[in-house]
Amino acid sequence: MANWVFSGLRMGVKTTRYPRRADETPGVTPGLPLGRSLTGGEGREVVARCPTGALMTDGDNITIDYRRCVHCFRCARGASDPLPWQGGYQWARAAAPPAQRRQVGVAAEEERTPGQPLGTAFARSLHVRVVDAGDCGACLREVKQLSNPYYNLHRLGFFITPTPRQADVLLVVGPGTDQMRTALEKAYAAMPTPRRVLAVGACALSGGVFGPSFMCSDGIGSIIPVDAEVPGNPPPPLAILHGLLLLAGRAGERREEEGPT
Amino acid sequence: MTEATAVAVFFVLCGLGALLGLVTKQERNPVLLALIGAAAALAACVAGAHALFAAQPFAAHLWPLPTGGTLRIGLDRLSGLFLLIVGAVFLPTSVFSAGYLRRYLSHYSLRSFTVLYFGLFASITAVIIARDVFSFLLTWELMSITSYLLVNFEYEREQNVRAGYLMLAMGEGGTLAAALALLLLASAAGALDFSALKAAGGSLSPEMRWSVFLLSFFGFGVKAGLVPFNSWLPRAHPVAPANISALLSGVILNLGIYGIVRVNLDLLRPDLMGTGVVTLIVGTISAFVGILYATTENDTKGMLAHSSIENMGIVTAGLGAGFIFTAAGRPALAAIALVAALYHMTNHSIYKALLFLGAGTVDYRAGTRDLDRLGGLIHRMPWTALFFLIGSLSIAAIYPFSGFASEWLTLQALLRSAELSSTGIKIVFALCGVGLALTAALAVTCFVKAFAMGFLGLARSEQAGEAAEAPASMLAPMGALAVTSFILGVVPTFVIPTLSGALAPLGNPQATAALVPPFFAQETDHAGLPADFAAEFHDLGAQVGERIIPGRGLVVLHRGGAANPVVFAMSTSYGVVVLVLLLLITWLVLARVSHRRRIRREVPWAGGVRQLFPEMTYTATGFSNPVRVVFDAILRPRTVEDTEETVSAHFRVAIKRSEEPTHLVDRFVLEGLTRTLNVVAAWFARMHHGRVNAYVAYVLVTLLVFLVASAFV
Amino acid sequence: MQASAITFRVPEQLSGRVDVLPEGDRSRCELHCEAGQLQELSRWLRRRGFVFVGLIVEQEAERWLLRYVFYPTQRTPESGDSSWVHLLISQPLAQTRFASAIETIPGIDWHEREAEDLFGLVFEGHPKLGDFVLHDDAWQEGVAPMRKEFDAHTAVSHRAPDPHWRPKRIVHAAGAFAMPIGPVYTGVAESAHFLLETVGEDVIRALPRFYYKHRAVEKIAEGRWPEDVLLLAERFNGISAFAHGLAFAQALEAIGETEVPPRARTLRTLLAELERLRHHVGLIHDICESTALTVAASQAAILEEELLRLCGALTGHRYLFGLATCGGLTRDFRDADLSSAVARSGEILRRLTELEIKLIKTSSFLDRLEEVGIITAKEAQAYGLVGPIARASGVARDLRRVQPYATYAQHTFEVPQESEGDGYARLRVLLAEARESTRIISQALSVLPGGPVRAESIACGPGAALGWTEAPLGAAFHWVRLNEEGRVSRYRIIPPSFVNWHAFYLAAEAFAFQDFPIILASFGLSVTENDR
Repeated sequence: MANWVFSGLRMGVKTTRYPRRADETPGVTPGLPLGRSLTGGEGREVVARCPTGALMTDGDNITIDYRRCVHCFRCARGASDPLPWQGGYQWARAAAPPAQRRQVGVAAEEERTPGQPLGTAFARSLHVRVVDAGDCGACLREVKQLSNPYYNLHRLGFFITPTPRQADVLLVVGPGTDQMRTALEKAYAAMPTPRRVLAVGACALSGGVFGPSFMCSDGIGSIIPVDAEVPGNPPPPLAILHGLLLLAGRAGERREEEGPT
Repeated sequence: MTEATAVAVFFVLCGLGALLGLVTKQERNPVLLALIGAAAALAACVAGAHALFAAQPFAAHLWPLPTGGTLRIGLDRLSGLFLLIVGAVFLPTSVFSAGYLRRYLSHYSLRSFTVLYFGLFASITAVIIARDVFSFLLTWELMSITSYLLVNFEYEREQNVRAGYLMLAMGEGGTLAAALALLLLASAAGALDFSALKAAGGSLSPEMRWSVFLLSFFGFGVKAGLVPFNSWLPRAHPVAPANISALLSGVILNLGIYGIVRVNLDLLRPDLMGTGVVTLIVGTISAFVGILYATTENDTKGMLAHSSIENMGIVTAGLGAGFIFTAAGRPALAAIALVAALYHMTNHSIYKALLFLGAGTVDYRAGTRDLDRLGGLIHRMPWTALFFLIGSLSIAAIYPFSGFASEWLTLQALLRSAELSSTGIKIVFALCGVGLALTAALAVTCFVKAFAMGFLGLARSEQAGEAAEAPASMLAPMGALAVTSFILGVVPTFVIPTLSGALAPLGNPQATAALVPPFFAQETDHAGLPADFAAEFHDLGAQVGERIIPGRGLVVLHRGGAANPVVFAMSTSYGVVVLVLLLLITWLVLARVSHRRRIRREVPWAGGVRQLFPEMTYTATGFSNPVRVVFDAILRPRTVEDTEETVSAHFRVAIKRSEEPTHLVDRFVLEGLTRTLNVVAAWFARMHHGRVNAYVAYVLVTLLVFLVASAFV
Repeated sequence: MQASAITFRVPEQLSGRVDVLPEGDRSRCELHCEAGQLQELSRWLRRRGFVFVGLIVEQEAERWLLRYVFYPTQRTPESGDSSWVHLLISQPLAQTRFASAIETIPGIDWHEREAEDLFGLVFEGHPKLGDFVLHDDAWQEGVAPMRKEFDAHTAVSHRAPDPHWRPKRIVHAAGAFAMPIGPVYTGVAESAHFLLETVGEDVIRALPRFYYKHRAVEKIAEGRWPEDVLLLAERFNGISAFAHGLAFAQALEAIGETEVPPRARTLRTLLAELERLRHHVGLIHDICESTALTVAASQAAILEEELLRLCGALTGHRYLFGLATCGGLTRDFRDADLSSAVARSGEILRRLTELEIKLIKTSSFLDRLEEVGIITAKEAQAYGLVGPIARASGVARDLRRVQPYATYAQHTFEVPQESEGDGYARLRVLLAEARESTRIISQALSVLPGGPVRAESIACGPGAALGWTEAPLGAAFHWVRLNEEGRVSRYRIIPPSFVNWHAFYLAAEAFAFQDFPIILASFGLSVTENDR
């Protein structure tokens, strides 16, 4: 019989120091592109290379809609004037206010501003239900890494529940396929208040490379109300942690003009 | 002589009911039966209660018998107890019949039902008040026959006829054995009445004692549904109308216990240890086998029938413990065990009647008894669900309902075997205690399954989905039984003295002093209680609130010695008060905490399927399957079909599996018996070859034999 | 290969014409046949050791073109040098009824069902069409989204599913019920639905229902530029992104006859094996987690995260997105980086081997895997299973050996094989493959030539070709057709999970409920790869 206890103890401590200190281990994040100012004609070529329209010109600057970035690296490789990329992973931010967002089963007293944290009672005890709305497997795998010894979300008081009935946060990955629509709506409806929705990954935010189409939405925000978003394709586990910390009220948002931190 | 009046009134009412039933129109018969039946039941209750509480037995002589002696009837405290139970069960059942019998209106004759009903009622009462062998046996036969006719009421169905026939055959066999036992006693006493038998009982030889015990125990055991002669019971219950099933389990099974108690406790003193051991072991095995088959049974009434076997087994085990303690010279412990047994029997009558009436109501409204096709009835039949729930809680021995008090007492009585000296007996007690504990656990499983699959979840058939609540005439009796069951559980401190009073005339000392002492107020004179015992309780602070808490609420066993006097203590009465207080406080706290929140109702979470169909929810078979798998060696179901149909090599279109359950006792006893009988009959059949000359020869030979024999007599 | 060097002997039954076309550095033999000859010809091919890959349905201007793809598992005089045999059946568009090949090729079951749902074709003789890709309780009949007339960008607003739809149950036993699992079920799991018919303890029949995650990749690819469809190829199954991206790129290279530089080919091999190593370690983590052996699961998770970080540090993306491209790779790597990455992967393998030794000594773990979830060799052959699952059941088929691509022909490696077909056999195959992957990685590094990582000139169509790789879960095939403009006009993916999920029910039946998650984990199949 193998001695698992000893071998486990000999492994030592692997856990990252985040959120107390930044984690700069190589390979921990793919990074995101940084916007910059246009330098004449070449800059525009880079904007046209983006397949999902994440790069836009705003006057003299190239701005980036991170919700659409699918990590194809075309703005960094093979372009004559590539965009600079930076590491970092604190990418989560509150979702846009509901212009045409569907409010499914939300009663009047539940109206909330997107991104509003759950309250101090949940800061160190947050229960998360993960729903796969058609994702490619990479986002789901990154969410799964959250339970490994490197990230260990339990030390932050975050838990993954088997049922939405006991969940505070609904973490959704995937572009919201048509055939998962009912299941997603039911999962949201089954959550008791207060509840928040965290959309993780480019597909969940904007449909990624798949949507919108007759089978995929343009982001799950058109199916259930979304509170916070984590861009990336897939976002690394640290970024997902940042999103959860945001909803628990323990992390500041990424400030727009600074780009990814 | 209130009892005599009440008994007379009772018989008059029964006769009236039967006569009127013959002449009234079919549609009116149910109401007639309900009214007169209720009145007769009230009379019976009055008679029984008076006999039980007032402690004034009456006896009467009736007509003289041709063989000598007179026909005697009498009502002592033990009979009073049984009569009270009979009345208490017949009352709600009669009222229930008003609504329930309508389903037979066009198919069968309700007139004959009414006549048989009152005939059954009268014969049962007559059995209980009979005081000599002849009247006892006569009324016993009447009771057997009328109960057979009523069980077999829907005679047009083939399986009903077979079930009824088996009941009659086995019943007659039991009667024969019991009759032999009584006749043995009568021949030893030289007279037929019970008082003479009692007087002679002390002077019998051990072999005679054993024969009487075995014949009476197994003979009356057939009627009580004890292993190994209970094969008729699980077949008879499902085929009988629901109200008859309630009577069968609530009253008629008790008569078997009555017979055993009357012969072995009253007429004979249990001073042979072996008889007690046999009783105890048979009781435990019956209990275990009964509940095992109940857990794996899906027909509601079949399940309740097996459960009746279980409960009768527990009662018998209590009786056996009582016999053993008496034989070992520990009368106080014996009293406790016997009180526990009678308490359990009383409780069982009430809650089993309740459950059968509930099953009948469900069958009436949802059209099926199969748990796999019910479901969701709590929304459509809320009152029935509530009463059935109370019945289930009682039978599963959940605090504070009645089953808890009696089963707890029985187990505690078994634990007292530690005070005996013989190691062998202690081992027997230990094993039986384990068996009964396992039985209790399986009982919980069984009734969780029954209630949950029958009433909760989604409706599994269309009829169950459209069932309506039963009429008030069917709900009220169930409600009354539920309340009674609750009360019996909450005030054991009143039930126990009553029961021990019932046993007192049989020569047993009072268990009351041992179990329900009034010790809160130390000033009261505690008869038979050592001072240090009372002091121990006072050290625990038992006298706190003595002015508010009335009298006795605790059931306590103490040894009376100086060291560790208290063995166990339990109080359902105070427990209920505390429970209510706790629930109230919790409710108040919750109401304050959540008064701003609104409740949002959502459908149950089912993994996000688009629609949850009833066939996706657990069935009763699925729920009890683990038990089936674990005890497969005992249950041994027979595989009837196990096939697969495929189309085009890799596509299956049907997988068919079906199994037939076989009963353990059937396999060992019934099949063996029938095989032997067939062999013997086949052997005798060789005599019937159809040749007239041989038959004449038989006659001549018989004549010769008698002529020769008469020379010697 | 020159067409004249083909020695493929055409069967006498064939009356239609035979075309031999180049396919990469091999050739493809297209047999045009009548509908009635399909069964006979497929039987002829099967008998000669040809393996069925899949069915590709194409809607041309006026005709339907059904393409049945086969390849030989051994080299016989008849197969010659031809690597691929395509049986082609063509019918006018108005005729949508075809003969089913289900009698001779059981593995074609799901292909025909998919074609029925997506194209509206009817395969006569197939006993179970319908309710496959488009769920009958969410869509009405006759939608046929893969037809050219159907617009992929407009949502279908009129929905009239069958109101009386109920799941089809086939178990007739007293008290049998069908327990639903999913689509959203416990833990962090992919969305799929399983209906387990049972009487309480054992699963008598398991009915999976997929396509909750259907994103219609094949449809939305139509009309896009190849480099945009490459994004789809990588991202429709992110955990084997490089393998699928590589298969697509190879298809494009076959169409344009692009020569990939040797450095790129060697690097492709290295990256593909790196992905296989990481993927298999992830599956081992899943197996340990499903059996609740927590310490082992944590240790495997540590190894997986280290491999992810290794990939991320080396290539810039943890899942190797954005590397494969038509003509080579999008970026080069410094030799120092490659050496340290390879060294680290060797060290990770050493720790994986330590984990393996401990696992084999844990009898409670082995108890849950041994003799649980068995697929026999006969079943594996009949359903045409691929990948580690097939190898665990004795069907050792590996495209890296039989149809080598990149530089696999030059490397030495074993293809592990077991025969029991239970969960433990699959685990052993995964561990052995991880070992072999590390071997290939270090071999690739040691022979890595210099030079460019991308071909200079990249021609692009029109034309059609098949690209293939041995993805971590098995053989993956991408069929690409480019129109004159150079845009994609038909894209068909035949992923390994699509083939393997077909046989999953065989393993799940006759076991208890508690074994179901373990059987799922030991299969390690991907729902998203199947659903596309």
